[in-house]
Amino acid sequence: MTINTLAEEGLRREQMACFRKMEKVIVAMQDPDMGMKMRNQRLLITVIPHAMTGQDIITWLIQKYHIYEEEALHLGEMLVRYGYIYPLKEPRCLVLRPDESPYRFQTPYFWTSTRWPASELDYAIYLAKKNIRKQGELMEYEKERYSLLHKRINHTWDFVVMQAREQLRASKQRRKADRIVLECQEQAYWLINRPPPGVQNMLDWGLERPNNLSARIPLNSDYYKSEIETSRRALGRNRVKSSVCLEGAPVPTRLRVERWSFSFMELLTDAMGRREFMTYLEKEFSAENLHFWQACEEIKHGESSKIVEKVEDVYKNFLAPGAARWVNIDSKTMDKTLEGIKRPHRFVLDDAQMHIYFLMKKDSYPRYLKSDLYKNMLAKAVVPQETKKSVFPFMRRQRHSSPSPAQASAQAAEEDGRAGTNSAAGSQL
Amino acid sequence: MGKEECKTMLDALNKVTACYRHLVIALGSTSDSQNLREELKKTRKKAQELAVANRTKLTTLLKDKTISKEDRAEYERLWVLFSSSMELLEVDMKRSLEIGQDFPLKVPTRHLIQTGMTGNTNAVAARAMSVQNMKYEADSNIDTADLRDLQSEITQVSQMMEEMEMKVQVAPWAVVAKQEAGAELKSNMSVGNSSVGVISICEEEPKDDEGGGGREGGSTSIGAVLVFFVILTVALVLGYLVVNM
Repeated sequence: MTINTLAEEGLRREQMACFRKMEKVIVAMQDPDMGMKMRNQRLLITVIPHAMTGQDIITWLIQKYHIYEEEALHLGEMLVRYGYIYPLKEPRCLVLRPDESPYRFQTPYFWTSTRWPASELDYAIYLAKKNIRKQGELMEYEKERYSLLHKRINHTWDFVVMQAREQLRASKQRRKADRIVLECQEQAYWLINRPPPGVQNMLDWGLERPNNLSARIPLNSDYYKSEIETSRRALGRNRVKSSVCLEGAPVPTRLRVERWSFSFMELLTDAMGRREFMTYLEKEFSAENLHFWQACEEIKHGESSKIVEKVEDVYKNFLAPGAARWVNIDSKTMDKTLEGIKRPHRFVLDDAQMHIYFLMKKDSYPRYLKSDLYKNMLAKAVVPQETKKSVFPFMRRQRHSSPSPAQASAQAAEEDGRAGTNSAAGSQL
Repeated sequence: MGKEECKTMLDALNKVTACYRHLVIALGSTSDSQNLREELKKTRKKAQELAVANRTKLTTLLKDKTISKEDRAEYERLWVLFSSSMELLEVDMKRSLEIGQDFPLKVPTRHLIQTGMTGNTNAVAARAMSVQNMKYEADSNIDTADLRDLQSEITQVSQMMEEMEMKVQVAPWAVVAKQEAGAELKSNMSVGNSSVGVISICEEEPKDDEGGGGREGGSTSIGAVLVFFVILTVALVLGYLVVNM
């Protein structure tokens, strides 16, 4: 059986495949020649047609589909449990008895459907109708649900009462036999769609099942006020994350890339350089060193209030035995650091950080400079145009220093401004 | 006064919605017929007329900025009633399209579901249309012809509801209903009588409820018998007096 997700209201839902198949079986049973044999149901003074016994159903299924009795019983069970056929003698007991117990077909409007799930409003109207008919003698669980619904959809309760009365008045226009059938149909429908407590819900969607009615929150003004507040806060949050990509030109200049080879500190202080180095380390599976170094930097330069929790994180991620990104520090430094962590302060990880720094400098850094990654970076790097030395001094253009990101974008903005685009954008830059 | 007019129109819409639902329940069953399809069509059109009238009236009332706070609260309550009615109507219209398509009438062998309902729905439709008797004048292919109209009407109704939500600033959850829980029991409707006298074969409640129900049923019938005898006695006495005067 395929499980369909219950989409939000308004979206088109599909009928579950198993329901469509069951509907076909039911329609086949209506065939005037090959269909089910119908009997009459005799009540005291009324006779209602179109009843069948459990045995009839099973016999028909066996003959039509050439199956064994066991399978026919199972198929018939499903038809009853999903509400296409309902029992007349014991309406709350949705089983198929292979004997003389009477059953009847359900009208298409009340067929189980994933496309048209039963709504709260309809259930409220049904309970109100039942309340009127039985002069308040609802069952315990129905009374509970009635009061829950009264709280939950209170704003439309007047409509519920009005509609319940009108629907009863409309059904009074039918003859008695039809009225009885109508009541039985509706009851069968709601026994399936809102089963009594303790009965398994046939429309249970497993993980996607709707919450227990009693645990639901009432849709009153307080609830909506809090929802509005949450949304407003969410909207107000600044979503622009300035990342390293935003700075400067995506293609670095040659000079910049060359600076990385001057010293390891140069590489680490340049954000782009650090990123490139990280990519390289990831290939070598030793990226945890750089991560550790960065985390230590954050602790050193970060907020005092967050030191304790950051140190805790670093310990969990990098220093604890069996940590995800365990860093290789010599035992003496490790012992000292672990002692220091018991009383964390801003510089407690300095020794470890230094150790890792030198490790990277001696080991990974030289290899990086010799790597293809770095060499490609050099090749891609842009050499800014040297200004032409003009013959006539007074025609000499100003020599531009290697364009820094700020100036480059300012120039671009000026050009844009001249081209007539939004001057506000230019002034922003 | 605007309020009374509104309430009357809303009551009418409510009545038509209930009747329409009743008719859609009969679709696809042995109660289905060409007549039923025509009744559905007429009821639906009436519902739409009422819907448009209601909407116009309520929007004018709600747009008026000079009304008092109580009046506004009342109109908002009426608005919620109106939109709930429209919700039901829209769903029922969509369902009637689906079921109408699945159960065509002009086929060599009809496969209508034998639900046990065999009577006709004339009286229900007459109630919806507020007429004494329904007149049937449609062609015999109404079941297919009407479906096309139905589709466009459904689109119209959906559009109207969207517009309603966009243009009218009413917070449905802020409305407080006038009726409290159990209000329907206080009505002077004698609906109990529809089930009394009929053995409720589909109402098999478990044992503890049955005792209560049985007792109540017994006392009601004893009361009825007593009343009957009292009336008989009074009639006899009056008759005797008349004869002797």
